[in-house]
Amino acid sequence: MVAAGLVIPAAGKTAETLRFGLTPVFLANDLELLDALRRYLSGATGHAVELISRRTYQEVTALLVSGQLDAAWICGYPYVKYRSQLDLVAIPQWNGKPLYQSYLIVSADREAQSLDDLKGDIHAFSDPDSNSGYLVTRTLLFERGLDPDLFFRKSIFTYEHRNVIRAVASGLAQSGSVDGYVWEVMREIEPDLVIRTRALRKSEWLGFPPIATSKSLARTPRIKALTGAFLSMKDDSGGRDVLDMLRLTGFVAGDDAIFDGIAAKVSLLRSVL
Amino acid sequence: MRLLWRFRRLPLTIRVPATVALLMVVISAIVSERVLDRLATTQGNYLQGLAYAYLDGIVASIIPSVLREDNWEVFDAVARMTPKSSPLRPVETVVTGKSGLVIASSDPLVRQTLSVLDPGFESLFSDGRVFIDESAGQGYARRAIAYQGQTIGQVHAVFDVSPLLEERRQVLVTLLLTNGMVTLSLGLIGFWAVGRMIRPMQVLETHMAEASAGSARLINESEYSGANREAMRMFAAFNGLVRSEAERQALTVRLAEEERLASLGRLASAMAHEINNPLGGLMNAVDTLRAHGDKRQVRAGSIDLIQRGLQGIREVVQATLATYRSEPLNRPLTGQDFIDLKLLMRPEMRRRQQSMDCRVAAMPDGAPKWPAGPVRQAVLNLLLNAAAVTPKGGRVGLAVRPEEGGLMVEISDQGDGMPETAKILLTGCRTGDLPVEGDGLGLWIVRQIADELEGTIAVSSGSPAHTVVRLFIPAPGPDKSLSRMEISHAA
Repeated sequence: MVAAGLVIPAAGKTAETLRFGLTPVFLANDLELLDALRRYLSGATGHAVELISRRTYQEVTALLVSGQLDAAWICGYPYVKYRSQLDLVAIPQWNGKPLYQSYLIVSADREAQSLDDLKGDIHAFSDPDSNSGYLVTRTLLFERGLDPDLFFRKSIFTYEHRNVIRAVASGLAQSGSVDGYVWEVMREIEPDLVIRTRALRKSEWLGFPPIATSKSLARTPRIKALTGAFLSMKDDSGGRDVLDMLRLTGFVAGDDAIFDGIAAKVSLLRSVL
Repeated sequence: MRLLWRFRRLPLTIRVPATVALLMVVISAIVSERVLDRLATTQGNYLQGLAYAYLDGIVASIIPSVLREDNWEVFDAVARMTPKSSPLRPVETVVTGKSGLVIASSDPLVRQTLSVLDPGFESLFSDGRVFIDESAGQGYARRAIAYQGQTIGQVHAVFDVSPLLEERRQVLVTLLLTNGMVTLSLGLIGFWAVGRMIRPMQVLETHMAEASAGSARLINESEYSGANREAMRMFAAFNGLVRSEAERQALTVRLAEEERLASLGRLASAMAHEINNPLGGLMNAVDTLRAHGDKRQVRAGSIDLIQRGLQGIREVVQATLATYRSEPLNRPLTGQDFIDLKLLMRPEMRRRQQSMDCRVAAMPDGAPKWPAGPVRQAVLNLLLNAAAVTPKGGRVGLAVRPEEGGLMVEISDQGDGMPETAKILLTGCRTGDLPVEGDGLGLWIVRQIADELEGTIAVSSGSPAHTVVRLFIPAPGPDKSLSRMEISHAA
């Protein structure tokens, strides 16, 4: 995660500067990764790139929808919510697919077998606008006719998937909802932390958090250049470095249908959210 | 007590340095205790400063989160603010909310989120002071979270203070070792130095002991080695004292001699008077013979007169010779000595128109050998004193008799009673100073002789006109040879 308000400045901020927003959908706490991403995008698009981070999905989404960002890496849930105002730039591929799962995690030594065993827990969500870190579990409870405020003793938001893992691993929360991609990647990067948790339930495959832009900017040369940069990332050595650090296999062109699963959940919860 | 008694029996050369060493140990212990106490206070203040700096930092950063009861933010803040390199390492931090429930702790598995804080744990904390549990090696500090004048929660922190306790232990060990070595070294140095310092005192003590035994001797130059200026002054003062005592002894002998000569003068005067009286009669008898020697009756009467006169003169001369004959006076005392004294006193008493009651018991065979000179001198002085205070026509008594363990000599007079100063001079607990201007010199010599002979003097005044002086002279011991009686030579 990048600390709230952190800005990675480009070489010079001009009218041509490409403003790219980041959310904690991926491992945004690695400064080396952010520097490599900015360097690659600058080289590939020919524009100076400014990486802009905010603490919550809502803040980044608001900047994106209002046109203050050229593009942003957002979660599938806000994309679906603002689908009428946003266009897809590219979708990351993890293990060759633009899909990921939401994990329901508990501490490694806990004997819980299903969601029912989590009743009365302090539950850690990532962000109220996160698909894997909130929407999936919220929908699951809704489908069973359960109110999270009653089912769980308390729900807490950590605003970062890594923090959900930390909260459960430390015992602060007894269970959590986390991005399956982040949990799996962190199992390689921070095994000592992740080994203290286990995935109690994995959701169906859902659309990976996409890179989106506002519809008003979608057809501008800058966004086209940005789209090209993401789609050709795996063909560039600098781009491959970025992909390796992200444990991704590449980016593909946007296919709106990938997010139908998320859209269905949003639709299901429309009456309560 | 027994140990103290044994210690007191040790020589001064051991006792004084040992006492100095003991005092140094006591001082060392007091200094160590003060240092450790001060260290504990300093460490306590240091610990408190660090603990409250940590707690204040935590409080400042979590106030908004505590207001929202945001468990994660509080947990994250506590985790982020845990110092990694501080000498005071927090081992546990627990934040509770207004309701007393745990909002977050550094180890939620031990202090579960939203649980009630264990009363046993909470009782370890006291407001305003860090509590240190030395057995557990932990310190406990608590800080209230205040917002707009209200307490909205508390932060409890447990610190690992074992490094501080270890530091204190190391200081204690270092202090004990250092103080022990310094004390031992200084004790040994003190032992040696004090022993060296008081060595002159030992020399002085030895000489003073000898002096009190009657054989005072000067401190030699060879015994001055190692003596400082102060000790040398003491030695010089002691030597001066010894010299003064020797001079005093010499003066005493000289005064006794002068007294003897004075007595002799008085006796010579009386003797001259005794001789002069018959001389007038003798001269008249000679003139009568020259004028009327042819008359048989006159001649016989004159010759008879001359014979009586010469006989009286012979008695006087015999008594004088008996007292001042040249034979050694350290011969053993006999009854004849007291007869001699009666003869010697006769002219003086006749001059005063006094008479003497003399009762001298016979000395038994094998009687102790008292030195004749000192005894005669003492009795003569007492008789002269008795005659001097007895009025004209009075009687002076002399009674001598052997008693068990010694000889009793009683001299009585008919004076007005002995003055108090004279009594003290004779019977005081110690020999007084030499009388000023020779007044009472005769009695002072009596006392000196009595002391020399280890005798005792008693003065009784049964009636105002009857004083009896009793001089008891014990049988001389085997170590009291006659030749040691120096006073006797003066007599």
